[in-house]
Amino acid sequence: MSEPLQRALDRISRVRGVRGSMWVAAEDGIPVAQLLMEGVKGKAVAALAASLARKVSGAAAATGAGRVRFVQMEAAGGTLLLAPAAQDLLIVALADSRVNVGLARLEMIRAAEAALA
Amino acid sequence: MPDDIRSLTSALARDPKSLVYVDLAEALRRRGQRQEALQVALQGLTRHPMHADGHDCLARIYADLGDLERARLAWSKALEIAPDHMGSLRGVAFLLFRQGDLAAAESALQKVIARAPWDDGARRALAGVRGGRVGAVAPAPGAAAARAVPAPAAQRPVVFDGFDGASADILLLDQRGLVLSGGLTDAAGKDASELAAAALAGVSGEAARTAEYLALGQWSAIVAEAEHSNLVVAPVGDGALLLVRRDRSMAVGLALRFAERARGIALAWLKGLGA
Repeated sequence: MSEPLQRALDRISRVRGVRGSMWVAAEDGIPVAQLLMEGVKGKAVAALAASLARKVSGAAAATGAGRVRFVQMEAAGGTLLLAPAAQDLLIVALADSRVNVGLARLEMIRAAEAALA
Repeated sequence: MPDDIRSLTSALARDPKSLVYVDLAEALRRRGQRQEALQVALQGLTRHPMHADGHDCLARIYADLGDLERARLAWSKALEIAPDHMGSLRGVAFLLFRQGDLAAAESALQKVIARAPWDDGARRALAGVRGGRVGAVAPAPGAAAARAVPAPAAQRPVVFDGFDGASADILLLDQRGLVLSGGLTDAAGKDASELAAAALAGVSGEAARTAEYLALGQWSAIVAEAEHSNLVVAPVGDGALLLVRRDRSMAVGLALRFAERARGIALAWLKGLGA
């Protein structure tokens, strides 16, 4: 794994409430790099996040919203965050309900934009 | 197994008493799995013998199987239970047309149009019957579609009156991707609600699956920040879905609050309908 990708995961995982973060191949939902707390199922998170990203992107296109930059799925027991990045990658974070979404979002968008460079 | 059938099968397994058996049977029928559809519909009707939608669905399966007598009996049963059942009225028109009784088919279609003036399919069928065209009347599209025949934006129920973008940026749909209320326009100002609703139905299923697999509990909202606007998608009650589109200049937190207010209105409206 390249150092910039790992550094991004380190930063995201330090945000309060984040239980894990990972880079995922958007096309097939396979984890590329991950930093997860014990018990987090990386492969499942990657596959589901990639699938959700595809559906949301399709809906955004159908509603004229354009290219998706960031997605937040809120649920009673936690939050799934994802941001499309370059090279057909997604950056994904799984967090509990205490997460500081604003901070996690900033780190993830920053990481996604860095991956574009 | 396709996603919709998998999720409906799973929903029925979780709650065998639910009415989702109609949606599952209909999904199977549409995919040409008629015997499986028949089995699901018959099993569902043993639990819910007075469920008009179930009998309507069963009739369509029989019609697909070419058993028009059983189809007639099932549609008759549905109309006995619910005399205004749109899918069954259309089904009866279909049968009458197939039997060559054009006058009776015309009368049946006129009843449909009297109850649902926006039903373009019925209007086209009526024109076809009057012209004596073979195949003018298609079998009823299904309980789901019959309950929610796409209505032009101007004829949809007004639910979000007073909200900014009430008929251009707020859309309420059911779990099958059929518009219930509100509306969404494209950049040219044309109604794009049907397309958006169809695409959003997939998001809802995916969100439910994701939340279930990751043990996150019930999902409550998806916020998507996109190039031109931000979207908030939220479940409403049992199976409906709300979409709110806001300009990117509106803060995401504010868009969420706005969506929450719209969700409350939608929920109250659906409860009022008994949905």
